[in-house]
Amino acid sequence: MPWQNSDVGQSALGVFHGAGGAQLKKDIFFLLLMLLLAGASRARAGEPQQQQPATQSWTDRFGRSFQSFNPEISAIMDLIFHQDDSDEDIQHIRESMGGFGHSHGGEEHHHGLEHGFNLRHVELQFSAEVDPYFKATTIAAVSEEGAELETAEIETTCLPGGLKIKGGKFFSDFGRINPLHSHQWDFVDQPLIYALTLGDHGLNEKGVQVSWLAPIPSYCLLGVEIFQGENEVLFSSLNEAPLPLHDGPRLGVGWLKFGPELPGRHGLQIGLFGGIGKHQEAHDGDGDGAEDHWFDGQGTFFGADLVYKYDDTRAYGRGDLTLQGEYCFRRKDLEVTAHDILPGLVGNHKIDDQDGYYLQAIYGFMPRWRTALRWEQVGLTSTSDLPDATVLDFGSSWRIGLMIDFTPSEFSRLRLQFNRGDYALDSGRTEGVTEVMLQCMVSLGTHGAHKF
Amino acid sequence: MRMFIGFISAFLTAIVLCTNVMAGDKINVVTTTSDLAAIASSIAGEYANVKSICTGQEDPHFIQAKPSFIMLARKANLWIRVGLELEIGWETPILDGSRNTKIRVGTDGHLDASEGIIRLEVPTQKVDRSMGDVHPLGNPHYWLDPWNGRVMARSIRDRLKKLDPTHAAAYDANCTAFEKRLDESLFGKELVEKIDAETLWQMELAGRLEEGLMEKGLSDELGGWLGAMRLYRGLKIITYHRSWVYFADRFGLSIVAELEPKPGIPPSPGHLVEVIQTAKVNNVKVLLVEPFYEKKGPEFVASKTGATLVVAGNSVGGQPEASDYVSMLDNIVRRVTTALSSGTK
Repeated sequence: MPWQNSDVGQSALGVFHGAGGAQLKKDIFFLLLMLLLAGASRARAGEPQQQQPATQSWTDRFGRSFQSFNPEISAIMDLIFHQDDSDEDIQHIRESMGGFGHSHGGEEHHHGLEHGFNLRHVELQFSAEVDPYFKATTIAAVSEEGAELETAEIETTCLPGGLKIKGGKFFSDFGRINPLHSHQWDFVDQPLIYALTLGDHGLNEKGVQVSWLAPIPSYCLLGVEIFQGENEVLFSSLNEAPLPLHDGPRLGVGWLKFGPELPGRHGLQIGLFGGIGKHQEAHDGDGDGAEDHWFDGQGTFFGADLVYKYDDTRAYGRGDLTLQGEYCFRRKDLEVTAHDILPGLVGNHKIDDQDGYYLQAIYGFMPRWRTALRWEQVGLTSTSDLPDATVLDFGSSWRIGLMIDFTPSEFSRLRLQFNRGDYALDSGRTEGVTEVMLQCMVSLGTHGAHKF
Repeated sequence: MRMFIGFISAFLTAIVLCTNVMAGDKINVVTTTSDLAAIASSIAGEYANVKSICTGQEDPHFIQAKPSFIMLARKANLWIRVGLELEIGWETPILDGSRNTKIRVGTDGHLDASEGIIRLEVPTQKVDRSMGDVHPLGNPHYWLDPWNGRVMARSIRDRLKKLDPTHAAAYDANCTAFEKRLDESLFGKELVEKIDAETLWQMELAGRLEEGLMEKGLSDELGGWLGAMRLYRGLKIITYHRSWVYFADRFGLSIVAELEPKPGIPPSPGHLVEVIQTAKVNNVKVLLVEPFYEKKGPEFVASKTGATLVVAGNSVGGQPEASDYVSMLDNIVRRVTTALSSGTK
């Protein structure tokens, strides 16, 4: 407070010197007024709390409010070096895995890792409390190919009774992995079951979510989401003849998260989830490059997740343990809408079933160092019940991953990961691939805290 | 459709009724740290249930926002935080997750206890992250200064009076009792009976307690923590993290080095060698470390320099003796003076 006033006094003095004779009287009056005001406010400030240091002054308060009026802005960079021992790259192997066939309708873009250096993307994030009623976040993933809008969400902060409504484009909050951005993953890559059933982006859609924290003694959060339905793998709408046109929204998702009260440093959360939506596919049966049969129907998925965390008292994350697992089943029930080669199949159904799970453990074995092990399987059920009544069974694939990461500060992380997988391909053979990945992530700016 | 709307509104009414019943008579206070909880319990007495997120045994910078914390926050009428970005890594997920509109930042149900305290180490120059985990609003470990404990108690009192005016008199009385106990522990009971605590504090804050006592001929009467620490004013110490600056400032100790090369970065062998040099040059007698840090580095430095390693919890609950705010400070003073008196013999 005191120096603030002297500061004002000085500037008044400056005016006095620069002004000249005519304004002299006015300026002296002004100066006296300033001094008087300064004295008065100093005296007043002196009364209740004598020992307020200079740092408690208005610049400090101003600084704080200035800060809070600005959105939190951050950029996260994610660099990866990748090698594997497959003939083709791992992305091609993943795409030819049995029972996970891609639709050939929509545009396909590859996000898989190439041999050598990869710049996954730079995540640009802006977030702020909009006003007393809303909070908003927007995240753009910028890569060399261009920018993609990952998140543009507005959520309420004012609803009573444990309710919250969220709208915009966002990651569906079901399960453990889907709500996370790639920099929050505990491994370089996401589990196979996620990558294969929902694609590289997960379920990231335009829509509305209503969630409710139930008024019971244990943590129980229920959510319902209505989405446009534009997932390229499980909920796509091709909007081309001869397929029927479906208006959005075409996808509904529901989930539940339950966290029983655990004593002390233990935390547990159990989740259940499911989703159902419209799905269309177009295929090229004779391999001439032109689509010749079309499917229209439904995609569904459901599953469960579990996470246990132990938060050790030791500093820098030492002794912290996380155990996590998820299971997911998905079905595509599709009707043949049109078939150029075998018109007799029109009206028949194709039912594709798939499932998979992963289990992982992460442990802080030294200050700032963590190690993790992940075991996963997909295709425990891997059948395709074709329109001509033949049934295909593709067999299952597995992968094991070992990760070690070092977190020099809250804002940087270096990670080394090995994967060994045995993949059942649609050609009937299996291929074993070993991968090694080196990742470096840094975060610039103010980045919000992460959830449990 | 009409039935559906009817059902929904009946359901919402049920929720509102349900939450009102659950609130009961007592105020639910949830604090981020155990020190805030200890002060809040002293002020609120029987009129509030006070719960803390941290137990005092862990590093309050790093907490997992687990579901049971969200449940605590959901029922809270008053949320109290240390502020100065101490809880930046975990407060928002808990507040957001609780969906409790009464305790959002900026409402009456959200109290930042750093309002009005004496702050140290507020950066005067531009800070960047190459300096480590620097808090741009000032060092957040301010509860280790008993003056700040008084300020925090008064902020909590005022907020409780605002939220629950019917028990205002009780909050006033409890706060006075808390201050009395704190002042007596700091200055000594006999001295506080001779000169009132406000006068003593004025002298102490102006940095002329010794002169003031001398003028009044009461120099020998200084007891309590200040009396116990009087012999060691100006002594040089080393700490693990920059978490002892307020304690050192109040009791006249001078911190010459930290084991962390930069705040939040664990000690490296090279830095420890430098610390040992500094300790020898400055004749450091005490190495002050919180229980949640590893002891290998501190023990190594202690063995090379002859300084005594003092492990002291700087939060309530950090050690068994630190059962409330006053006993937490008492425990630190006792451990430091014990180490110093045996070291100087």
